[in-house]
Amino acid sequence: MTAMSGDKTALPRRPRFSVEQLLRPETTLIVVILLIAIGTTLRNPNFLNVGNLTDIARAAVIYFVMACGASLLMIGGGLDFSVGSVFTLGGISAGWLMQAGLPWPLAVVAGIVVGIIAGWLNSQVIARLHVPPIIATLGTFFIFTGLCVQVTGGEDIVPLPDGFQYIGQGALFGVPFVVIYAVIIGVVSWFLLEHTPFGVEVRAIGGNRKAALANGIKVARLDTVLYVLAGGTGALAGIIYAARVGSAQVSAGGSGTTLSVVTAVLIGGVSLLGGLGSITGIAVGAILLSEIDNALIVAAVPPQYNTIVVGLILIAAVAIDHIRRERLYRVRR
Amino acid sequence: MSLDAAGTSHPRPAAASAPALTLDGVGKSFGQVRALAHVDFAAYPGEIHCIVGDNGAGKSTTLKILSGIYQADAGEMAIAGGRVVLKDAAEAHKRGIAVVHQDLALVECLDVATNMALGAIPRRGRFLLDRPRMEAEAAEVLADLKIRVGSVRTQIGLLSGGERQIVAIARAVRMDLPIILLDEPTAALGVRETAHVGEILDHLRERGKTIICISHDLEFVFAHADRITVMRLGNSVATRLRDETSRDEIVGMITGTIAGEAAGR
Repeated sequence: MTAMSGDKTALPRRPRFSVEQLLRPETTLIVVILLIAIGTTLRNPNFLNVGNLTDIARAAVIYFVMACGASLLMIGGGLDFSVGSVFTLGGISAGWLMQAGLPWPLAVVAGIVVGIIAGWLNSQVIARLHVPPIIATLGTFFIFTGLCVQVTGGEDIVPLPDGFQYIGQGALFGVPFVVIYAVIIGVVSWFLLEHTPFGVEVRAIGGNRKAALANGIKVARLDTVLYVLAGGTGALAGIIYAARVGSAQVSAGGSGTTLSVVTAVLIGGVSLLGGLGSITGIAVGAILLSEIDNALIVAAVPPQYNTIVVGLILIAAVAIDHIRRERLYRVRR
Repeated sequence: MSLDAAGTSHPRPAAASAPALTLDGVGKSFGQVRALAHVDFAAYPGEIHCIVGDNGAGKSTTLKILSGIYQADAGEMAIAGGRVVLKDAAEAHKRGIAVVHQDLALVECLDVATNMALGAIPRRGRFLLDRPRMEAEAAEVLADLKIRVGSVRTQIGLLSGGERQIVAIARAVRMDLPIILLDEPTAALGVRETAHVGEILDHLRERGKTIICISHDLEFVFAHADRITVMRLGNSVATRLRDETSRDEIVGMITGTIAGEAAGR
């Protein structure tokens, strides 16, 4: 350690553009999205139709809204495998209450509250019963799924009020409402993560939980907030989906949805080891997942290739995360 | 010298007033393992008080009680004369205690400035992170302490062990709290870096801070401590003014060949 020279407090402005930014996960993903778009358009020019691109955006929104809460949780070192069932639970709760006569705006709020309660239950199972997050949320996944079947008798809830369906199917100047909701939720999540002490503390508990505790961060309280946010956004996505398709479906979420959300979060550059990740990354990850779903259909590729491609991209994303951490840390991990 | 109720000697520097922090008969067990049997301790403003002892003597457990990570099973702790029970690290911080842990408690994926602000993050209003202030404060503290770690935007994961140690100490300084605890601050450092840490502690003492430092490094202890408390087998066996003791006496009390005042407890 030697004496510091020069102006001691003046800091250079952050560069607006740098090579490091080019190497960010979202930049790589955007290149992949463009390559898939070019390849698919060559096979079927209809891929670039406004209607088709809107379909991609609508589907991406569902992944993205859930991924906002899930990514904050994973950056904070948590994991929620119940998100697919909370998605169903949100839609079913709201739908069931609407059929019971509750005005739809109140039913929407109640559905989100049910998701929040589910998230809180997850946090309590983890904190009080000391069950690892992956097991705790896998357990609650089955419980919530069973509850949905129990409440509905396995039947979808239809019809839903027109006003409710409009919030999922309407558009403003051609932009679907659901895209607008996703943008609002994305901006709020990004702001929380990047511009508040809460965001710093989330990265701290994900990066080094013991250090966060030693520095006086209320780790248990923050964990609870993160699971609640994951539950709330999971239920909200389920409600948006129910409004979009006009019915609350028992089979809307499930394990496939959970895996898609976790995949979108990981592809978007959120580290499974916590601490690292960004909301812009998961936005691009959600668009990529939705684009792959759509592109394989438009290009008439057999459906089994969908899972193969997603699997390959997921493995590549986690491998890239490892390389990123090696660049970031002197100690190999 | 003055004797406390338990019979342990507590020599006070002439200039010292009331103790900033005291432990009185503190004990701590983990199941069947008794980590601390009986610890008496008093640290005063404007002094460096080193705690020495062999492995397993109870030094780190004592520090974890002082920093709110563990809670004592027996005895009392007081800050500025008032009895306290620290239920967690946040409360220790609120009561005016900054801690430099042996594992440094740094978050590798965050930069230097953010790590230095953890636990006391600058805000704009109630909810907004004040990043410019956070970076400026970190740069100012590092400059004051003549520490060079590149930019405050450098991620901790990119720093060497010595640089991380210095950043951890700088973080405690930035908090500007009256009591600073350090657990083996020179364990991972080279000769020059160790000397630099000593300079920082001397500087903090001049500013009236109460410095409590756990160390194995007797050369460092005798170069910088005002007082030395020796721990052995979970007990504080004696406290000595540095100028009134010798390395041989301290080593003798550490190994048990010389009995301290409280050795028979």
